[in-house]
Amino acid sequence: MKTILLVEDEFGIAGVLTVLLEDEGYRVLSAANGRQALARLAEARPDLVVTDFMMPLLDGAALGEALRADPAFKDIPIIMMSAVPEDAIRARFAGYTAFLRKPFPIPAFFDLIARTLKG
Amino acid sequence: MTEETEDQYRMELDRVPTGIAGLDTVLRGGLLKGGVYIVQGVPGAGKTILANQTCFNHVAAGGRAAYVTLLAESHTRMIQHLRPMAFFDESVIPERLYYVSAFKTLEDEGLKGLLDLLRREMRGHRAGLMVLDGLVAAEESAASDREFKKFVHEVQMHAALNGCTVLLLTSGGPGPVRAEHTMVDGLIELDDRVFEVRTERSLQVRKFRGSGSLRGRHPFRITTDGLVVYPRIEAVFATPSVPDAATADRIATGVDGLDALIGGGLIEATTSALVGPTGVGKTTFGLHFLAKSSAAEPGLLFGFYETPARLRLKAAQLGMDLEGLEKSGTLEILWQAQTENVLDELAHRMRDAVRRRGVRRLFVDGLGGFIESAVHPERMSRFFSVLSNEMRALGVTAIYTLETRDILGPTLQVPVNGVSSLVESMFVLRYVEVQARTRRLLSVAKIRDSGFDPALHEFEITDQGVRIVGPFAGYEGMLSGYARTPGAPVPPVPPGGGRARGDA
Repeated sequence: MKTILLVEDEFGIAGVLTVLLEDEGYRVLSAANGRQALARLAEARPDLVVTDFMMPLLDGAALGEALRADPAFKDIPIIMMSAVPEDAIRARFAGYTAFLRKPFPIPAFFDLIARTLKG
Repeated sequence: MTEETEDQYRMELDRVPTGIAGLDTVLRGGLLKGGVYIVQGVPGAGKTILANQTCFNHVAAGGRAAYVTLLAESHTRMIQHLRPMAFFDESVIPERLYYVSAFKTLEDEGLKGLLDLLRREMRGHRAGLMVLDGLVAAEESAASDREFKKFVHEVQMHAALNGCTVLLLTSGGPGPVRAEHTMVDGLIELDDRVFEVRTERSLQVRKFRGSGSLRGRHPFRITTDGLVVYPRIEAVFATPSVPDAATADRIATGVDGLDALIGGGLIEATTSALVGPTGVGKTTFGLHFLAKSSAAEPGLLFGFYETPARLRLKAAQLGMDLEGLEKSGTLEILWQAQTENVLDELAHRMRDAVRRRGVRRLFVDGLGGFIESAVHPERMSRFFSVLSNEMRALGVTAIYTLETRDILGPTLQVPVNGVSSLVESMFVLRYVEVQARTRRLLSVAKIRDSGFDPALHEFEITDQGVRIVGPFAGYEGMLSGYARTPGAPVPPVPPGGGRARGDA
């Protein structure tokens, strides 16, 4: 079973995505911001990080930089999600594996996750 | 809203303008830097748009802002809703305007965690403006009133120390004063009320520490430009925006033969009422007045009834070239459909048009259009008085038409109380029945500070427009609507004083 670390500050979105991912057979670790996400990495090494960009305390860019700087996690693929265009995100952090503009259809979300996990 | 009006109220205090048209006038320049303000309103009143618009305007002026929600509503959805708004600028997100949700933090860590988050976001994003959307959720999570008040107090401390202005959005209508209201620097209340079948949005600054504000309720609209606030005319122009430079100079009415009856024309920068029933010729009088517009005396027709195309055609048929005057820039026609207008919006639109072109000749056709827009008809007398004072101070000679209820008869019923005392000049146009024929009568009812010919004059409308024929002679009782020869028996007055509109 693949493990996904889902980092999302919006409670409603995080809840729905968690349920849907679990229905698809993934194990989901949840965090409401980048700081919580880094803490959860100590529990288990995820196969994929799916993260929002704008979050309190530690945003998606800072989380991504922390992951890429840590030898233990630098190879984990990252899907960055945001309601703002990719250009604005890339200007802050370009080290993600794939980008998903919110709002998105759920099939596209699952498809991107499957493709990213396949590498 | 003109820039001068906004600037007029800017004071020495360090302000954070909302950038919202009209609101900064109400706030006399904007919010105070480092202040904490509650924005309260019923669901759908416009709180979220007000807050977002203020954020985008703050960022457009070079600042940075953070928008923190405690609601289940997603930022994605909020941004989608904002996208059609003129103030929305995606390029400033996330670098200078940052959206985060603190819902989970509040759930997991309570008010202490929320306060920590706000403090870090304020400093981390170097925000000069912060919005906390959903204060009610924070209140509900507080173990006691004391804990909630402590939270609000600590937000104030951080806001003041960081020089960050904070808007706390919460739902609720007008009601009793709450503890947090007494603590914050200001309270802005948004309302959306139903008046019979229509609604009107309005806002009221119930508290504004450290500065004056325009008291009372002020209507606003939500448009694709965001909120547009129309400061209530009686409040914003309680004192005219410029000193009144009174003059005894005259300005021509443009009506053949009329100036001779009133001492050489209307006194400049005064207000006149043209009272009469439908179809008697009020608009034609006004067209003559505007046909005299020139570069030195620009004209404005502010109308509700006939469209610009129909007015141009009507004028052309009477030998007046309105279209040419428009093309040369000496005349502007502003027409508004008689739909659900906002009274103060109309007044600001008219005043802005006057200021924009330095209008000297104003013809309003008619006052009934304003009256129809009023959700509080009891305002009309004060409203018209203040608007007239402002027009006078701006050097505008204005003629307003005022339609009477009855076509023919002994009484004159006008829809504004005390209109006579509000204007310097009043002209009454009437139909009169003379030997089974309807003829038109002009009586000069009043010219303040000037003599005038008190005779009742006949006028006619020819293919050259209005022409004063001369005094009626050989009849009496004409003001009853039914002329008779001297000594003839007085006819009985019809029930209701005359024939109702549409009976003629």
